[in-house]
Amino acid sequence: MAVLSAIISAAMLSIFVQNAIFERAFGSNVAIYASRRESHIIGFSLGITAMTTAASVATYFLDGIILPMENGWLFMPLIYVGVISVLYIIALLVMWRFMPKLFVKIRKYAHLAVFNCTVIGALFLNSGYGGDLLSYIGYGIGTGIGFFLASLMLSIAREKLDSDKIPKAFRGYPIMLIYIGVVSLAFYALVGYTVDF
Amino acid sequence: MSDKKTYPICFDGLFRQNIVLTSGLVTAPIIVAATTAQRAALLSLTFFMISYCTILIGRIIPRKLVYTVRIILYALIASLVFIPTAVLAQTLFPDIMTSAMLYIEILVVNSLVLAKTESRFYLIPYSSMAIDSLVYIAGYALAAFAVGIVRELLAYGTVFDLHICHAIMPAAKSPFFGFILVGLYAAICRAYYNRKRSRDAALSELVRKGADD
Repeated sequence: MAVLSAIISAAMLSIFVQNAIFERAFGSNVAIYASRRESHIIGFSLGITAMTTAASVATYFLDGIILPMENGWLFMPLIYVGVISVLYIIALLVMWRFMPKLFVKIRKYAHLAVFNCTVIGALFLNSGYGGDLLSYIGYGIGTGIGFFLASLMLSIAREKLDSDKIPKAFRGYPIMLIYIGVVSLAFYALVGYTVDF
Repeated sequence: MSDKKTYPICFDGLFRQNIVLTSGLVTAPIIVAATTAQRAALLSLTFFMISYCTILIGRIIPRKLVYTVRIILYALIASLVFIPTAVLAQTLFPDIMTSAMLYIEILVVNSLVLAKTESRFYLIPYSSMAIDSLVYIAGYALAAFAVGIVRELLAYGTVFDLHICHAIMPAAKSPFFGFILVGLYAAICRAYYNRKRSRDAALSELVRKGADD
């Protein structure tokens, strides 16, 4: 029960308090792209959740070695990209072996779900917060769920935001950003604090 | 494709295909971290170093390698370039480096390096690519300063730490304002190009009619 509670509380933190899209703007372009089709939302969310969770487990152990080192922070991006790359190759190999049809379908786009700010940003935030292995896992899962919710919200709004009622210059990308800004404002009010930048 | 073939310099990356304001490829650092002109300078410098060096070095990766491996190699090169970039940025901007660090670290997987290289830069000769990618990076810097200066003025009442007026909107430094401001800039860019396109179309129609007569 304590294990579950630790994972859930870390996940809630990354879904609501530190939502990747609305509060950190990580992968907002990927979310806008994914929100065009329901299948994209599901595919990208699954890819990001799997990658952030698996990579969080690996980086938990690596953080313990690198962070105490002097100038260890300089090598963090290299190590995180290395971890993501290895997991990406493993995932592609597994898919190629056991789900060949799916592999052919997604191989051109899979890297978009893996090499993006959402995944690598979640790993950096995880290492910044510290915590135990369960927190790392919970934060990884929560990042994926947070991305799913954000993409879903964008998808629901897309139909209205692309309508003729919106001035032509605002339709598409500009109005989506403004919409994310308004939802982000609501998230800030919900949480009751602001990131100090 | 021969390197000797000359290609005209294209300035699309500055405005028409600006990676922040038009295509939205690299938005997170500007939306969240470009809250002052100084931060905009830091983001522009780090983006230039990481992206430009990676694009120039990544060109030597053989196209025979599968796409998956090439993408991984680009990200790894960017991570290696991050090391001297971070050291330089720490020296030049010691006060603001720590708070903006997260948004510099994530630049190693930016879409200019991972997507534009394959779809644009590596399809043209090396010399043209070197200039074209520089134009795109200049477009990023332009967007960073446009956002940073306005937010600094509204949130702190200063520009490059020079006092201009009192802070009229402290919330301008928050990410939600960043989203809204970048959205507004994107709409202005689009309106300008829509208008230009209509004007050009009307002009060509006029020329065509004149030729027919």
